[in-house]
Amino acid sequence: MTIVVGYVPTPEGEAALTQAIAEARKNNTKLLVINSSKGDALVDNRYAQEPEIQSIEDRLAIQGIDHVIKQPVRGHDAAAEVLDAAEENNADLIVIGLRRRTPVGKLIMGSVSQRILLEADCPVLAVKAG
Amino acid sequence: MSSLTTGLKGRAELGVALLLGAAGVLVFLDANGLVTPYSQSDPVGPKTVPYIVAGLLVVCAVLLAINVIRGGQGEAEGGEDIDLTHPADWKTILPLAGAFILNILLIDWAGWVISGTVLFWGSVLALGSRRYVRDGLISVALSLLTFYGFYLGLGIALPAGLLEGIL
Amino acid sequence: MDVWSSLMDGFATALTPMNFLYAVIGVLLGTAVGVLPGLGPAMTVALLLPVTYALEPTSAFIMFAGIYYGGMYGGSTTSILLNTPGESSSVVTAIEGNKMAKAGRAAQALATAAIGSFIAGTIGTALLAVCAPIVVEFAVSLGAPSYFAIMVLALLAVTAVLGSSRLRGFASLGLGLAIGLVGIDSVTGQRRLTFGQPLLADGLDIVVVAVAIFAVGEALWVAAHLRRTPLHVIPVGRPWMGKKDWGRSWKPWLRGTAFGFPFGALPAGGAEIPTFLSYVTEKRLSKHPEEFGKGAIEGVAGPEAANNAAAAGTLTPMLALGLPTNATAAVMLAAFTSYGIQPGPQLFSSQGPLVWALIASLFIGNLLLLLINLPLAPLWAKLLQLPRPYLYAGILFFATLGAYSVNLQAFDLVILLVLGALGFMMRRFGLPVLPLILGVILGPRIEGQLRKTLQLSAGDPVGLFSEPIAVVIYIIVGLILAWPLLFKLVRRNRPAANTVSTAEATAAHSGSSAPAGNPVHADNRVLADGTAASDSSAHQDKKETP
Repeated sequence: MTIVVGYVPTPEGEAALTQAIAEARKNNTKLLVINSSKGDALVDNRYAQEPEIQSIEDRLAIQGIDHVIKQPVRGHDAAAEVLDAAEENNADLIVIGLRRRTPVGKLIMGSVSQRILLEADCPVLAVKAG
Repeated sequence: MSSLTTGLKGRAELGVALLLGAAGVLVFLDANGLVTPYSQSDPVGPKTVPYIVAGLLVVCAVLLAINVIRGGQGEAEGGEDIDLTHPADWKTILPLAGAFILNILLIDWAGWVISGTVLFWGSVLALGSRRYVRDGLISVALSLLTFYGFYLGLGIALPAGLLEGIL
Repeated sequence: MDVWSSLMDGFATALTPMNFLYAVIGVLLGTAVGVLPGLGPAMTVALLLPVTYALEPTSAFIMFAGIYYGGMYGGSTTSILLNTPGESSSVVTAIEGNKMAKAGRAAQALATAAIGSFIAGTIGTALLAVCAPIVVEFAVSLGAPSYFAIMVLALLAVTAVLGSSRLRGFASLGLGLAIGLVGIDSVTGQRRLTFGQPLLADGLDIVVVAVAIFAVGEALWVAAHLRRTPLHVIPVGRPWMGKKDWGRSWKPWLRGTAFGFPFGALPAGGAEIPTFLSYVTEKRLSKHPEEFGKGAIEGVAGPEAANNAAAAGTLTPMLALGLPTNATAAVMLAAFTSYGIQPGPQLFSSQGPLVWALIASLFIGNLLLLLINLPLAPLWAKLLQLPRPYLYAGILFFATLGAYSVNLQAFDLVILLVLGALGFMMRRFGLPVLPLILGVILGPRIEGQLRKTLQLSAGDPVGLFSEPIAVVIYIIVGLILAWPLLFKLVRRNRPAANTVSTAEATAAHSGSSAPAGNPVHADNRVLADGTAASDSSAHQDKKETP
């Protein structure tokens, strides 16, 4: 029994994490937090740094949730990392954050969320930033 | 760091001393082979400076070898985008060098547009990008752009090669 | 020759629309490469050399000047926002600057760095305009013996004083001199080190050598050691400063300038020593010493000013004597040569308009940098998200293109690869690249002066000492060479200079964002609260090489 949450240090990511924590508490399941980076640039603001990870760690520990935080940097995009983790751990639920994108932006960049929604084998819970 | 790896690293640096020594001997032999009659207007002649350079190289080679054997070690150069905690990644370097050599072999025959595309696309691939199509399009665009940019902007005609007549 | 009227003529040339455009391109490009990892002003100028052959030399040098100053600005931006000082001269800036940024004062840190750089750059350039003609006046009275001695001093000083290992510096110098020997000897017409290869008869093109060592060698080296964990840029708005920050900054700016310029002008002065001195001084004089190590604005203002004043100082020997003392100046000197302009004391008389336009463009570039970069800082930070494959593949692509376009022969690309591999090996084994480049550039000129000198004395070596200035310089050379020996005699127990401690001086307490492998090496000197900064022995040519 595992919940996988794709985390990024943005309001959407925070919303997803909060929702995932609620789900994990409700069902008393293990929580797997994935924060990945392709690692192909010197700077990636979607890759959480030590202090942020530490604060998540603390937050989960206080709530007494059985958890693992993973930060894979393997050249894969975020969707692939989340899907991989979900498959490996037989996840029952994937939680992701959605952000607003213009149609043009979607066309150019593609959408991580869309890929996860289409390709995941388990239910996906998509939340928006409050 | 284990003593084994330090030992290997030390030995690798002896290669640098060897290279310096070889360069020194080469410079010396080359200068030695020059034939110059003594000339009033040029008492120094073309040999003196090569002899000095050869001497400098050989002395550095010997001193470096001693220094390395005694445990001295050159510090690898750092940088903002450099992580020295992992060893040199030959899986990146060799394909990169391969793309470079392919470009050298192709440039005169196939022309810059083709060889440049191969070079850029190959390098991007070697450096870990996996968006083949997008990378390919960028490579072609870059090569075409520089070809025409050099021709029209700078008056330098890069070789057209196989595409002669089309471009 | 009146400095003021020459300078005004220079402004008139530099402000023509075309030249002004090149100044703008230069500062934008310079800042971009200063911000981007793995690229530096020296590499950029080298890459642009072949492309600029079609330009007027004046326009090209105006652009190069913009790149030179712009690179400094860009470098300080990344060291403040990322704590990854790309060059050792901005190591000190990163100490306080990054702390300020972490404490939410990134805008003020960037502002004091930018304004301080502007003030120091402007004062430094003014000093350059005043000092260079004086140096020239003195230098034109010198004969070949003194000139030979000065060049020997410059070479040895850069080799022996900068860098962490003198031995490896000299090894690099030897390689450079050997590369400089290749080709037909200009006096006797003998072919040296050409191995019967007609393509080598003209010698190795300095453009190809510079591109190979700076661009190809660096790109391969970075590619082999790519950092795997991405970093965060500290978010920043538009840089600004409050009244209190101004009050705390202006004195450090001026003191930093006073440290920077003279050190920059000295051969082998470099920028690290003055930035370090400025830091220590500000810490001692500050009314808020307790803030040092936690983000004191004085610790950014002073070193950043010293850094830029040193950059201006470096141009004094470069323009007045033809002696480069850092990598960018060396490549710019190579540019003079490839335009067929003879560098040296005659430069001011033979190329007066060009030199004064160049100096005027430094003033303009400085102002442009301030005006452009204050509002653009957040945008520059975005540049860092460029995927590396494109960045480094682009360097290789343009390096190849540039080297090929010089002579349009594939053979140059073979040389490019061989020397690129040499550059890679040098970086791997700690051989500094600056002595090599100086050896290639100055070697042939030194040989020329030596032969001229001994021709005058009919082969008698006493001719080398025939001018008092030359004798004085040889004494200085002797002191520089003997210095470590003397030092060892005084302090027997001090470890030898070239057994290097590769201690990484990463600021331990700044968490994971302080990356391992910062270019901060050697004798760690403890500054505030255990933050170790490198002393002068760090690689001075890093970002310059870039």
